[in-house]
Amino acid sequence: MPGRRWRAAAIGYLYLAPAAALTAVFVYWPLVASATLSFYDWNLVSPTWAAVGFANYRELAHNRAFWLALVNTAKAAAALTALTVLVPLLLAVAVLRVTGWWRNVYRVVLFSPTVISMAIACAVWLWMFHPLHGVLNTLLRYAGIQGPRWLSSGSSAIWAIIIVTVWKTFGFNFVIYIAGLLAIPAEMYEAGRVDGASERQLFRHITLPLLAPTTLFVFLTTFILSPQNLFVPTQILTQGGPNEASNNLGYLVYQLGFEYFRVGYASAAATVIFLLFLGLTAVQFYFAERRVHYGR
Amino acid sequence: MRRQIVVRSTSLVLTVFLALCGGALARAAEPITIEYWHINSPTFGGPAVKELVQVFEAKNPGIKIAEKFQPGVYTGLMQQLQVSLAAKRPPAIAQIGYNLTAYAAGQFPHVILDKYRKSDPDFFKGIPDNIMALGVLGGSLHGIPFGVSTPVMFYNPDLFKAAGLNPDQPPQTWDELLRQGAIIKQKTGKLAVYLQQPNDEWIDQTLIWGNGGRPLSEDGKHVGWDSPQAIEAMQMWQDMVDKTKIAANLTWEEGLQAFLSGHIAMCLTTIGRQDHMRKNASGFQVRAVPVPRFGTKPLATATGGNVLMIFASDPAQEKAAWEWIKFVLSPEGATIWTKGTGYLPPRAELATDPRYLKPFFDEAPMMKAALQTFPYARPWVSFPGSRGLEITKILIKAREEILEGKRPAEPILKEASQQASALLPK
Repeated sequence: MPGRRWRAAAIGYLYLAPAAALTAVFVYWPLVASATLSFYDWNLVSPTWAAVGFANYRELAHNRAFWLALVNTAKAAAALTALTVLVPLLLAVAVLRVTGWWRNVYRVVLFSPTVISMAIACAVWLWMFHPLHGVLNTLLRYAGIQGPRWLSSGSSAIWAIIIVTVWKTFGFNFVIYIAGLLAIPAEMYEAGRVDGASERQLFRHITLPLLAPTTLFVFLTTFILSPQNLFVPTQILTQGGPNEASNNLGYLVYQLGFEYFRVGYASAAATVIFLLFLGLTAVQFYFAERRVHYGR
Repeated sequence: MRRQIVVRSTSLVLTVFLALCGGALARAAEPITIEYWHINSPTFGGPAVKELVQVFEAKNPGIKIAEKFQPGVYTGLMQQLQVSLAAKRPPAIAQIGYNLTAYAAGQFPHVILDKYRKSDPDFFKGIPDNIMALGVLGGSLHGIPFGVSTPVMFYNPDLFKAAGLNPDQPPQTWDELLRQGAIIKQKTGKLAVYLQQPNDEWIDQTLIWGNGGRPLSEDGKHVGWDSPQAIEAMQMWQDMVDKTKIAANLTWEEGLQAFLSGHIAMCLTTIGRQDHMRKNASGFQVRAVPVPRFGTKPLATATGGNVLMIFASDPAQEKAAWEWIKFVLSPEGATIWTKGTGYLPPRAELATDPRYLKPFFDEAPMMKAALQTFPYARPWVSFPGSRGLEITKILIKAREEILEGKRPAEPILKEASQQASALLPK
């Protein structure tokens, strides 16, 4: 009997092995290598690594750019999470109320930013953000408002990046919400209507609770991916400037590693960021799982 | 039977030998391909690079040039280069900006070119010593100066006319620029001037040299951004943006677009853009003059451009790279290059030679501004040591903070210089 159990377990591990091996090589090994590198000073080219102990971590704690990037990342993650969870939800609810051919038109139009390459989207936004003759400020001028210098002003640069990222990524969440909404059984709404519930009550007491697993998925993926989604627009639109005003943690690691070639220092920053997000994700899972209705 | 075995085995050995020889011969006849990395985008000399490759390959059938554009100007190229060196797959040859030569020469394995002075003395004839010095560090020749550019002031004569100013008399000093700029702003409602703001501090160094300062102390121990001359120059820039509001604070792409579309009257940037400016100015004919002087002080500008450095470790690749260098700096190569960009040829006599660049200089009046500036060219100082790239970034961030206008230039520059100087080699 123990022999059979052992064999069954061995077969299970065998099935797991390919995925486990790939994950070990391409995910966990780089994590370990990066953490190791964070205790060295190395410029990618030098044949020797100089051991520096915790010096990289100490320098990071005193680096103004790191704290600014941390604040900006938190700001951007909060804004992106709020906007790319709420906006697609409202749009999905609205689009499903449209009937016939127009529903598909709206779906295509709203999803289309997602399939455009981020680099090309940024090039288009670069032109739209132009403070003197860009579309945005021209429209604002018609409304009697003096638009900001979107990309070269310290107060607006991070918002310019957030706007582009929201525009580029909300379509994905929109499609997921559409699928989530269509999966809610129609008879629940019918039962609600028979009982005299208003549209608002239907949304509040049927749509939102039954959409909770979808919202949890959208919320978690958006929160975890949003700092990564900031990288390309930051690189193309502002390079983290002016004076670090639009920098974020992901881009800072790139700057330290591939602009200043302080690979050990960049690894220290990457390790800190990894631990930070690991903790945040664990907290999120713990709390979020308790408030989700799976409709069972 | 035995004889048959001997014959068969001999013929087998011969066949194998001939096959190997044939393979080797075929390999010898195959052209060698070398990678050439450059910063020349389609709007910044890219077509000229393609033309150079075409002509070179026709003359040298044994060598193929795989030219690769690297985005992010010289800093961007340098980053890719460091990554490629880490992967042990560097290009055979690359353009290294003058501001980064000390960093590249100090950090990267590359070919020291002094040996070619002996083997190819003819090549070096006609390139002035002060130009060749741009590739010399610590007494050794690390790279051959290729693109040589100066900053100039492009301007839109129509906006001068619209403001009631004489377009034939653009400002020659900063005081004149401030005065005429205020008139342009008042009469046309347009901004007067844009000083380029890419991811480098070339124009900042030009302002510091121009006001009589030094970007780096002579002993190389102190960054000169906190000198009175530097503070005065950068404060002037801040005042133009923040107080008199005659200057634009825009990213590089935005600034160039705004100038070319007629929203800004003057634009200080590289002569290397003259071809692009000429072809893309919307509804006006661009003109160019030297950058303004500070009062009665002599003109002084940072020299832009790059050296060609060889990173090939294979002797055949190195030889091919050297052939490429010889061609692009030859009268024929330099003519293609200067016409397609506006960079000045290191061999100055080509500009007056009717067989090469004289017709071009006669027909491209904007080039006169660069030629007038050339005698006053000072180095684009490259910060030495392994932290040179960080120093440049500190100074760029200081400029960005200054132009935001929240604090005066002096404390920002003092802090930045202190921080930057601490990273210089002791």
